[in-house]
Amino acid sequence: MDVISVEELTKKYGDNEVLKGVNLKIAEGEFYALMGPNGSGKTTLASIIVSVRFPTSGKIEIYGKKPKYAKELIGYVPQENFSSPILTGKENLMYFAGLLGYSNNAAEKIVNELLNKIGLSEDANKRVSDYSGGMRKRLEVATALFPGIKILILDEPTTGLDPSARRKFLGLIQELRKEKATVLLITHIGADAELASRVGLIDEGEIIAEDEPERLKKASGLKNVMNIETTIKSDKVINVLSNFSEKGKVLETDVGYRLYCEDVEEATPKIVRSLDAIGCKATRIETERPSLEDVFFQLTEKMVREVS
Amino acid sequence: MKATLGKTIKEFLRQKTILFWTIAWPILWVLIGSFSFTGNTPSEVISHVRGAIAISMSVFALMTAGMANLPGNIAQDRERGLLSKLMSMPISPWRDFVGRILALLAFSSLAAILVALVGYICGARFSYTLIGVGQSIGFLLLISLASAGIGMLIGTFIKHVHGAIMSGVGIAVVTAAISGVMAPYSSLPWLLQEFARIYPISSANSSIAYLLVGEDYAGYNPLSATQTTLTILISLLLFVAGLIAYSKFCWRKE
Repeated sequence: MDVISVEELTKKYGDNEVLKGVNLKIAEGEFYALMGPNGSGKTTLASIIVSVRFPTSGKIEIYGKKPKYAKELIGYVPQENFSSPILTGKENLMYFAGLLGYSNNAAEKIVNELLNKIGLSEDANKRVSDYSGGMRKRLEVATALFPGIKILILDEPTTGLDPSARRKFLGLIQELRKEKATVLLITHIGADAELASRVGLIDEGEIIAEDEPERLKKASGLKNVMNIETTIKSDKVINVLSNFSEKGKVLETDVGYRLYCEDVEEATPKIVRSLDAIGCKATRIETERPSLEDVFFQLTEKMVREVS
Repeated sequence: MKATLGKTIKEFLRQKTILFWTIAWPILWVLIGSFSFTGNTPSEVISHVRGAIAISMSVFALMTAGMANLPGNIAQDRERGLLSKLMSMPISPWRDFVGRILALLAFSSLAAILVALVGYICGARFSYTLIGVGQSIGFLLLISLASAGIGMLIGTFIKHVHGAIMSGVGIAVVTAAISGVMAPYSSLPWLLQEFARIYPISSANSSIAYLLVGEDYAGYNPLSATQTTLTILISLLLFVAGLIAYSKFCWRKE
């Protein structure tokens, strides 16, 4: 059963068409990641689904209902840190419980359970201003886990979290999946999207590809990714490297370049020699499997985010 | 509604800047006014002069709470995405609104009582009747509603927290200074006297001074039927304008 159904959805701000006929279906219990760069329309799409924005045209249904009649089924976690820093973690959750109409006693019980679920029981009475970024995000996810909520919509939840907090946070999302929650994750981080059962790649208001993460990678035809750190960075270096990359695609990173190569063993010495010939040294060469961000780059020639 | 009330009042009470500008600052002026500006005042009227100062500063506390704290709170909630979160939830904007206003009234009352209490400790005395006290409470409520109306307009249209707070403080300070809240009505030029009669916070302040410390401290009769009607109507008008702006624009879907 599709719990989220979006058909030919468009959204215009003046002449700017942010969503261009988006179609999206998410089944019950599915973990769907919508991945795209900033400005691709993913947050706009999420905010229409949660009834914060109006669509310009198109049809959208949540469990067969219009979004405004399905608010009680959706737990939305916006990108911003919306919890009140001056209140404690528990007070923040009690506030949301109160808004949802729980009596004090019922709220107390549910909030304690939620704090336990997100691993913040011991820090429940600390002010949120004393929380780390990861703790705060987990608290905010808890506001979307009250009983009755069936769909969790997370907008870039791991942005700004350190690697440890990010892993912990994603672990929490994996735990929630076991409870059969339907999850829509909005992200620009490929590694986060890979946890999903299905991924949609969105660019300029259109979903350009959609499938299971592994199938998307396979369909892209990418075999290996080489990260090459060089002593200099220039167009000349890019020209040389493009001769060794599939379809000539080379991605510039903070420390060097990223290219796509079928036979790494054969290409590596040739790359080193060619770089030498233009007076550039390869200081480090690493090989890895392609990520969803590489797939996105392959399809659009755009980076989902700054690659470091 | 209860949830918003609880959250908002906790936020007001836990922010030192809010406590300072809404409670400590007016108290400071009560202390300064009671002891520094009363040097040549005849001893038989000094307690009433102090009473008038305490009333003015209590009114100023209400103005700051409504015009700076409330828009600051609204702008903060919008800036950090809370309003988007609330719009996605099955809750009515009216409940949120009523919760905020009740929190404001509770906090404003606390501030006004504390300021008046310090005034009393400093020697402020009032001559009152039970009906006069009741009427004064009514005028204080009107001041809170008018301030809240202005505050909601600020909070709705000025998007950033600091901008909203600074604008609110600015409007409160300037209008209090030019409308006779902080200076005697009789010392104002003609044009500002007219403004003081139209500006409901000033006319309500004069009404309270008239009721609790005497006619001389109001400078005119703010309790005439026409003036009282004007005070009530403009206060309610400001409140309703703020309410409409808040519910229409802060909770508006794009």
